[in-house]
Amino acid sequence: MEALEGLLTGFQIAFSFHGILFVLIGVVVGTLIGMIPGLGPITAIAVMIPVIYGMDPTLALLMMAGVYYGAAYGGAASSILLNAPGVSEAVATTFDGYPMAQQGKAGKALAIAAISSFVGGTVGVILLTFFAPTLAKVAVSFGPPEYFMLMLMGLTAISSLSEGSTIRALISATVGFMFATIGIDAQTGTPRFTFDSPHLTEGIDFLVVALGLFALAEVCSLILNRKERLTDQKNIGSLHLTKKELHEMKGPMGRQSILGFLIGVLPGAGGTIASFLGYLTEKRIAKNSDEFGKGSVKGVAAPETANNGSSTGAFVPLLSLGIPGSGTTAVMLGALIVLGIQPGPMLYQQHPDVFWGVIASMYIGNIFLLILNLPLIPYISKILKIPRPLLISLVIVFCIIGVYGISFNTFDLYLLLGFGVLGYLMRLVSFPAAPFILAFILGGMMEQSLRQSLTISNGSLMIFATRPVALTILILSILSLLFPYFQNRWQKRNRIRQGL
Amino acid sequence: MKKMAGALVLTFVLVFTAACSSSSSGSQESDSGEWKPDKPIEIVAPAGPGGGWDTTARMAAKVFEEEGIIQQDIGVINKPGGGGALGWSYIHSKKSPNSLFVSSPPLLLVPLNGQSQYTYEDFTPIANMIADYGAFAVRKDAKWDNLNELFDDMKKDPSSITVIGASSPGSMDHIQFVKVAKKAGVDIKKIKYVSDQDGGALTALLNGSADVYTTGVAETLEQAKAGKIKVLGVTSEERLDGDVVSTFPTAKEQGIDATFVNWRGFFGPPNMDEAALSYYEKKFKELSDSEAWAEIREKYGWKEMYMDHDEYMEFLSKEKDELQKLIDELSLGK
Repeated sequence: MEALEGLLTGFQIAFSFHGILFVLIGVVVGTLIGMIPGLGPITAIAVMIPVIYGMDPTLALLMMAGVYYGAAYGGAASSILLNAPGVSEAVATTFDGYPMAQQGKAGKALAIAAISSFVGGTVGVILLTFFAPTLAKVAVSFGPPEYFMLMLMGLTAISSLSEGSTIRALISATVGFMFATIGIDAQTGTPRFTFDSPHLTEGIDFLVVALGLFALAEVCSLILNRKERLTDQKNIGSLHLTKKELHEMKGPMGRQSILGFLIGVLPGAGGTIASFLGYLTEKRIAKNSDEFGKGSVKGVAAPETANNGSSTGAFVPLLSLGIPGSGTTAVMLGALIVLGIQPGPMLYQQHPDVFWGVIASMYIGNIFLLILNLPLIPYISKILKIPRPLLISLVIVFCIIGVYGISFNTFDLYLLLGFGVLGYLMRLVSFPAAPFILAFILGGMMEQSLRQSLTISNGSLMIFATRPVALTILILSILSLLFPYFQNRWQKRNRIRQGL
Repeated sequence: MKKMAGALVLTFVLVFTAACSSSSSGSQESDSGEWKPDKPIEIVAPAGPGGGWDTTARMAAKVFEEEGIIQQDIGVINKPGGGGALGWSYIHSKKSPNSLFVSSPPLLLVPLNGQSQYTYEDFTPIANMIADYGAFAVRKDAKWDNLNELFDDMKKDPSSITVIGASSPGSMDHIQFVKVAKKAGVDIKKIKYVSDQDGGALTALLNGSADVYTTGVAETLEQAKAGKIKVLGVTSEERLDGDVVSTFPTAKEQGIDATFVNWRGFFGPPNMDEAALSYYEKKFKELSDSEAWAEIREKYGWKEMYMDHDEYMEFLSKEKDELQKLIDELSLGK
C-alpha cells in the first residue's frame, strides 16, 4: 500500500504540465538517438548536463530517464530495416527482424517491436514500483563468480544460433572471443594484440564489429547478387497483426518482460545479455523453433521485450542503492549529484518525490513511446521503397557516420571496412555471424569475471560450486543445453506411440 | 523516409559541428599587445562523455562563457581512446594555442606504464584547478576498524585479502592504495588486486566478493552515510570538510605518512607562446576565484587546488618521480 501511496504522489508530479513536457522531450530525443548508430544515450545525457544545471532535479531526472528507455525503443528500426544494429541491445532483433522485412513484412516487424517494447517497459515499471527495495538485495548478490556463470549461460545461445553446423558456429564464436581480447588487459594492465597502436589499447568498439559483420556484409551480398535481388518485392506490408500473431507474442512478452527486468537489475549485465537470453530461451522452448532466424514473430518480440524490461530494471540499483548498473545510469548518477541530489541508499527516504516522480513518469513515458512509434512506422519503413542502389549507398553512409561518431577517428573506419569484408567472406563459406558477435560482446566480461573469481579464490575452481547462486545458474545452463535433446526424444517417443 | 532523412541530417549536423570546431585556428595580438584568442577555443576531454575529465571541461567552459571571463565560444570535444593517449597525440599534433585539454594523474601514469609516448613534459601545463582524494572502504561488519589493522593482516597473509578497484593495475585506483600500503610496510607485490571495469566494484565489496574497495572519496559518501560501508582511510593531507566526510580519518593521522592527490587541471599544446600562456593563466585564476566555480566545486565535492604554471611544473615533476618508483617496484612499466 505504501507503494501505491508513493505512486500517487509521483503521478502528481509526472502529470503536471512540466512533468509531461519533459517526459515527452526525453522520449522523443531518446527514440531519435536510438535510431542513429553511434549516438548512444550516454552521449545525449552527458551533453545535457550543463543544460539541466539548476533545473528541478525530479524533472531533470525524468527527462534523462526518458532518453534512456526511449533509446531502447528506437534501436529496433535500423536492425529490422537495414540489418544495421546501432546499439548492442538491438543485435538480437536483427536475427528475425531483418528476415521479416525481407519477406515484405517490415511494417509488422516494427509494430511487433513497438508493442513488445511497450509491454517490456510497462511490466518493468510495475515491478519497479512494487519490488524495488526487495530486488535491490538481488542486485548486490552478484559477484564475479555469478557474473561468469551468467555469461556462460548467454554463451549456450551459440548452439541456437548455429544455422545448421555447430562446428562452424563454434569456430565463429572462437574468432569472436579472440577479437574481444584486443586491448589493455584489465587484470594486469598488459596491452594485448595492440601492435603498439594507441587506437587499439581500449579494444575494438562493438559498433564497428556489428555494423561491419551485419550491415556491410549484407551490402556486399546485395551488390554482388544484384541481378537476382533487383526483382525483390519492396512491400512494407500491413501494420496490423493478426489474432494468431498477437497470440504468438503473448508468451514471449510475458516471460521476457520479467526475465529482462531481472537481468537489468544486475549491475553491469544490461540489455545486451537480456536480449540474447530472451531470444535464446524463447527459441529453446518454442514448438516451432525452426522458424527462428527466418522471420519469426516470437524472435522479434522476445529480444525487444527483454531489452526494454532490462532498461527499466537498471533503475532498481540506481534508485534504491545509488549503484549505477550501466554506463548510462552512471552518467545519470553524476547528473543527479550536480542537481544537489545524492542518489544512494537514502534516496527513497530523503527524496521520495524524486524516487516516485521518476517511476510514475515511466508509465506515461511508455505510453508516449507507443503512441509516437506506431504511427511513425509507415514513414520509417518507406526507406525500403528507395531504389536499391540508393538504399545501399544510404546504408554505407549510415554505417560510416555511426562508427565515426564513436570517437571521430578514421582508424575505426578502416576496421569497419575490414569487418565488412570478413562478414562477407564468412557468408560465402556459410559461417554464421551471430555466434561471432555474441562471443565478442560477452567474451570481454566473461574473461574478466573468470579471472576476478580465480584471483579472489587464489586459483581454486571451487568458488563456482560453493556459491549457491553461481551453482544454480550453472545447473540451469546445463539443463537448457540438454533440453532440446530430451524434447526430441519425447517427441519421437510420442510419435512412435501414436504410430502404433 | 522523411523522418529517417531528418535523423540523418541531424547526425550530419552533429558530426560536422564537431569536425568544424576542431579545425585549426590562429590567433592575433590585440592593439594593447596582449594576446587574445581570435577563434573559438576547444577544450579536449581525452575520454568519452560523462567521466571526470569531461565533466570538468564542460563545467569550466560553462562558467567561462556565462560569467563572461572569456569572450570567445568554447567547445568541449571528446577524444576517447588509449586511456587518454589518443587525445594527447591529437593536441600534440595541432600545436594551436586555441586547443587546450584537461588532465589528471593518468597523464603521468599512462606513459609510465608504457601506453603513451607523450607525458606532461610534452605539453604546457597552464593551471591546476581542483583536487580529489582516494578512499579505502570496507564492509560495515568487516573486522578492521583502521588502516593499521588492515595492513597488519595484509602483512601476515596477503592472499586472504582481495582489494578491488575500477581500473587496471598501474592506474589510479591501484596506485593510490599501493602507495599508502607501501608506507605501512606491506609487500606491495603481493597485494591481491582485482579490477572491475564494468561497474561491479562496489557491489563486489557489499556482497563480500572483495574485502577492500579503493576509489574516490565521493563514491564512498552515500554508502557510508547509509551505514553500509566504513571508510578506513582517505589519502588527503588533512581531514576533509563536510558532513560525514569529516569523520573519515586520513592515512597520515594513523601514522602512515603517505598521501595521494587526484589533481585535475588544464594543459596547452607543446611550447605554448608566452603571451598565450599568461593569458590563459590569468583566465583560469579568475575561473578558480569565481563564485560560480566555487559552487560547482562544492556540488561535486572537489577541493580547491589552484597552481599556476610554475608551481604546476614543479609539482608534476615531483609526482612523476614518486609514481615512477612505485611502477618500477611493481615492475609494470616498460
